[in-house]
Amino acid sequence: MENNIELKNVSKEYPGFQLKDISFNVPKGSIVGLIGENGAGKTTTIKALLNIINYNGQIKIFNKDIKEGEKNIKQDLGIVLDDSFLSDYLTPKGINTIMKNLYPSWNSNKYFNYVKDFKLPSNKLIKNFSSGMKMKLKIITAISHNPKVLILDEPTSGLDPIIRKEILDLFRQYIAEDEERSILISSHITSDLEHISDYTIFINNGQIILSLPTTDLLENYGIVKCTEQEFKKLKKDDYITYLKGKYHYEILIKDKNLFTKKYAIKTIDKPSIDEIMLLYVKGEK
Amino acid sequence: MNNIWGLIKKDLLNLSSYKTSLLILIIFCAIAIGSTGTITFVPIIVCAITGMIALSTFNYDETSQADKYILSLPVTRQDIVLSKFILAISSTIIGALLGFLFTIFLVNILNIIRPDSLITLDYNNLLTTTIGAMFGISLIQSIQIPSIYKWGAEKGRIQMFVLIFVLVVLILGISYLVMNSNFNINLEDIENFMNKFGIITLILAMIIMYYISFKLSLKIFKHKDY
Repeated sequence: MENNIELKNVSKEYPGFQLKDISFNVPKGSIVGLIGENGAGKTTTIKALLNIINYNGQIKIFNKDIKEGEKNIKQDLGIVLDDSFLSDYLTPKGINTIMKNLYPSWNSNKYFNYVKDFKLPSNKLIKNFSSGMKMKLKIITAISHNPKVLILDEPTSGLDPIIRKEILDLFRQYIAEDEERSILISSHITSDLEHISDYTIFINNGQIILSLPTTDLLENYGIVKCTEQEFKKLKKDDYITYLKGKYHYEILIKDKNLFTKKYAIKTIDKPSIDEIMLLYVKGEK
Repeated sequence: MNNIWGLIKKDLLNLSSYKTSLLILIIFCAIAIGSTGTITFVPIIVCAITGMIALSTFNYDETSQADKYILSLPVTRQDIVLSKFILAISSTIIGALLGFLFTIFLVNILNIIRPDSLITLDYNNLLTTTIGAMFGISLIQSIQIPSIYKWGAEKGRIQMFVLIFVLVVLILGISYLVMNSNFNINLEDIENFMNKFGIITLILAMIIMYYISFKLSLKIFKHKDY
């Protein structure tokens, strides 16, 4: 399978934080979700991908090293950053004027159609936009030059469910238009990623804890709820982590089928990504 | 070059909110000249204001936290720094031209309105003042731009004032030492030199200052993490 993005042993050190040997791929035609709690290293990974920070390791986008072909590579990227956009003293119309010069493939018609579809006023200053309107503008700015890859940092945070659905539909439509396209999306709202991502990468404390197809994660992983007695019978290798509750134990397991064959415990819940994340971060081994 | 023009457009669109301020400036200058008959300060004020307005584009980027996003666009760090310098230098030149032409325009208008108190325009003096104003603002820009890249728009301004203060103290200190030493300075020679080569010297100094400032800004910006 060909990849649009390849990261190999990417590291970055800040005082009090370290991104350690991050390696993963974003295959063509896929949506890859990057999950993790706040401060886990998702944004740092995206900053390294965009060459905004200095880092160690290798990052290839479209099979070229980002440090060498940065300008050309970025012409085919659509970017949404959670905490950064153009000045609030610009209007959507002004953004079109700027982007025409920055992206050779910028499509003004497409951009203004999106502005109209999302009911954004084209002559109003961004500072007067609500957070939902601003995020919509960021996203339509990112896709109006038909990029091959979208890199999205927390594109749904702080938005109400209706706007989130509209935005997720837009991503689905974008990926369906061309099978060579990919999306790398970081979010701590994991329920959004459960619905759209093909692969899930979980970062915790600057390290990748797991990286696998989302269906595998949702179908094979399980949460066992059992008593202390039952828990004591389990071998350490058969579970990932556990949380001791007031009345029972919650145990995260990797393979439901294997577990049911080995143990008599039959109450295994299908976990959400949120629950898996919680047990990985807070659970004990 | 298209990318650099895109970045400059971004800054110009941000600055469109200054339209009213510029109108107020024109009215202020007209009233000041009319009431005092002094014309030399007009190019200084106009040049200083346009030069400082250009620097305020850093504030727009900083307050909107736009730096990271700009770096994610298809531009190099050199394009970003170059666009800021093109804007800064253009603002100084445009400010000087505006100040120069605006003074001539105002004096002529005032002389038509008030034929009883004519203002005589010394073009040589006006040119020297204008070039002097350009030098002053280019010195400030050359110090402030690398300071902003190093410390950010807010802290950079404080650092700039500290640097200017140090420069003034240094110049005054050197002058004091020279005056109190036995070193003989022929003031007439200096005046002759300045009359002959003053403008060229100032222009050359400006080019060197901007060049050093650009190289320094680029070096700082290339190693900066966001």
